[in-house]
Amino acid sequence: MHKTRPAQITSPVVSLNGGQVKAIPMLAIAGAIGIGLALAISFTTEVPIKRFLMSYLASFCFVLSIGVGCLFFVTIMHLTRAGWSATVRRIAEIYAMCLLPMFILFLPILVTVIAGWDTVYEWNEVGYSAHGAKVDSANPPPIEVLKGAFLNPMWFTIRILAYFGIWGLLGYTYLSRSLKQDETGDKTITAKLQGLAAPFLLMFAVTVIFSSFDLEMSLSPLWFSTMFPVYFFAGGFGAALCTILLTCMYLQRSGRVTDEITIEHYHDLGKLMQGFVIFWGYIAFSQFLLIWYANIPEETFWYNPRINGAGWKPMTYVLLIGHLFVPFFLLMGRALRRNKKLLTFSAIWILCLHWLDHYWLVMPEYGRTLHQGINESFTFTGLAAIGDLACGIGMAALFVALFCWIAGDRALVPLKDPRLGEALNHEVH
Amino acid sequence: MAEENTTEENTQLVGLLAQFDDPDSLLAACDQCRQSGYTSTDAFTPFPVHGIDPALGINRSILPFIVLCVGLTGLTIGLGLQFFANSNAFDGISPFKGYGYLIGGKPIFSVPANIPVTFEIIVLSSAFATFFGMWGLNKLPMFSNPLHRISRFKRATNDKFFLVINSDDAKFDRSATEAKLTSWGAVAIEEVHQDLTDTKLPKWLSLVGILLAIVLLLPPIMIFRAKGMVNRQTRLHFNPDMDYQEKFKAQTLGPISDDEANPYLFADTRSMRQPVVGSVSYGNLDTDSHFFKGLKADAAPKPGEDNVADYATEFPSDLEINEAFLARGKQRFEIYCSVCHGYAGQGDGLVNKRAMGLAASGKASWTTAKSLHDPVVKDLKQNPVGRLFNTITYGRGTMGPYKDQITAEDRWAIVAYVKALQETGLPVSSEKKEEAEPADEAAAE
Repeated sequence: MHKTRPAQITSPVVSLNGGQVKAIPMLAIAGAIGIGLALAISFTTEVPIKRFLMSYLASFCFVLSIGVGCLFFVTIMHLTRAGWSATVRRIAEIYAMCLLPMFILFLPILVTVIAGWDTVYEWNEVGYSAHGAKVDSANPPPIEVLKGAFLNPMWFTIRILAYFGIWGLLGYTYLSRSLKQDETGDKTITAKLQGLAAPFLLMFAVTVIFSSFDLEMSLSPLWFSTMFPVYFFAGGFGAALCTILLTCMYLQRSGRVTDEITIEHYHDLGKLMQGFVIFWGYIAFSQFLLIWYANIPEETFWYNPRINGAGWKPMTYVLLIGHLFVPFFLLMGRALRRNKKLLTFSAIWILCLHWLDHYWLVMPEYGRTLHQGINESFTFTGLAAIGDLACGIGMAALFVALFCWIAGDRALVPLKDPRLGEALNHEVH
Repeated sequence: MAEENTTEENTQLVGLLAQFDDPDSLLAACDQCRQSGYTSTDAFTPFPVHGIDPALGINRSILPFIVLCVGLTGLTIGLGLQFFANSNAFDGISPFKGYGYLIGGKPIFSVPANIPVTFEIIVLSSAFATFFGMWGLNKLPMFSNPLHRISRFKRATNDKFFLVINSDDAKFDRSATEAKLTSWGAVAIEEVHQDLTDTKLPKWLSLVGILLAIVLLLPPIMIFRAKGMVNRQTRLHFNPDMDYQEKFKAQTLGPISDDEANPYLFADTRSMRQPVVGSVSYGNLDTDSHFFKGLKADAAPKPGEDNVADYATEFPSDLEINEAFLARGKQRFEIYCSVCHGYAGQGDGLVNKRAMGLAASGKASWTTAKSLHDPVVKDLKQNPVGRLFNTITYGRGTMGPYKDQITAEDRWAIVAYVKALQETGLPVSSEKKEEAEPADEAAAE
């Protein structure tokens, strides 16, 4: 029989409850080992540090996109005044807050840019921009000159600082306001955040668009696609939903969250996950189709190694099937979406494929030089691939450590959100 | 029975309608109704009430599976249609022919190009399956429902909640069911009667309908009849717009004058006017006779005059003869000259070969294209670079002028390339293919 639950948290409020005290050092050590292993293994490859840093960038973008997705989750829930998500929003808020400290994780790459090395970004090669002497200094291709105005160490650094600053501001605003509401129960805080969500969404859009240009698209500075940021965002938000879902599952299983999150929330997260799996496929295909159909060399050279390259071709198919078709059918239908085990499996599956997606975006640029094709000697089998994988696992461990650190002894669900009643009584059809 | 006396003669009892004042009491009643074993029931509420489906024992709709099946069918049809329409594989097997048409150099069956169409067909068919499937499952359109005969029921869209138990339910019993409904908290209970009055259309209306249908058939019949007909009448011009204008088109006769002796306004009868004699179109001021004509600065040959002394013996001084210039000349040469003179300049181009073949059978008159390795052509005294340039510019013999196709600078580049070709010292003639091929390779180097 249907009963309306009271609009308040009835079960005892539990934080991570000291769990993080043990978890943080362990996760940090795991992260250090993973990344250290990748660095060590990179010395067995042709271009040691470069291999490591590219792999590091792929894994960094993987966790960054999850944080960015969580920031979007909070923003859009405020913007649409969503009631159902009130109890899962805190987890997303904490993940969004992780974006600011993640700047530290970006430092190894930023250092190479500021130092003027082309280890990661070839536009940073001496003389690549308009300032110096390129291979053919008498006739520098004009497009490189133009892009040099945008892609240069100083301007890049300023932008990176701006991205993390804005993400930090947004994440901090959401989390600190929400925590304040836990104490005071002030309903005007929700109203204020709803008002702020609109300008925040604009700031989010601008930073995500340009950060995806800077971090991943500029690896191949002569290539351009206005669809790329959407691709970055679509994958990131899908992965963020999976991360939120997995965190909810873990917290509920370990008893830190009890009846605040119900099967209805998992069901809705599952629906969104499927929706964004389709959206990712839609965007990936839209980007591919236009370039494939027009068949212009200045655009196709980016896809060529990924689709025709010896090792990358099967990986592209793995992505197409694994990141689109498999989760599409895994999450199809109400019964499947309300099956917690299947949902957990799907979430882990999508997250793995999302890492592979960033690996696929970043790594083919390893060994590519300005006007040349892909480095055929690049291998992602054997020891080097284990290094890349270790880097991904290490980065994910650091990300979770950040979550534990920020979660600390804070409540894991909003305690006095005015929409708690709606969230607790949420029911989907 | 007493109840039947209160009803009109030509109606039939089809169920009982119970009214509730709030969703919770309706939900409770639905729950008890299901537990009592009633199956032919329905509930009506002004807004969706969560949990009413399980309370009434209504199973989940099969609509999603219908949509899935139709969507997959759409996928098959979409891909299959494009595969069939673009392929010649079914010729002879099927009564319809596919049309293999290469678009943008893509393969005949090209999956990425077919995805958008397939996707749209899936979306469209799924949307139709959802919409019309919902109608079908709800038995729509339904033009009348006995419930609408009860005035109380109007508030189902406003603020009241109703439960109906149909009389076709196995457990339905007029008085027992009413007692149960009352015990479940019904505020009011009413009988639902179906009107059994004749529902046939009046005869005159059917007649009008048939007539209307016949009239509507006329236009398509007329259109079908007009198929392949010829009509000599002038077409109706509904929107003349700018179709008729007071102007003269190029290369037509000019305006007619009033003067009978000179019927046309202009003496040459043309509508087009010639440029004023001596005017030079923009960018065509060829004052430098060395650069544009290959002549010496002081030479002024009369038309048709071919005096070796008039031709320049040097390249124009502002041209820099370097590798890039020669590469350009090679490229232009292979576009414009090689068709007749051959890639190695031996006068064995494909056009020349074909024309010689035709000339041999008397089907064409043709002068053999010159081999550029001919001692006369090679000789700087008889053929200074200026003469080569002049030949390209104005043509010579069968060769046409290339002044308008190739810019002056490119013509000089061709001359430079020809001189370079001649330096390779290839044999004059290469009638046999075996000789031509190594020669080509040598020229390419």
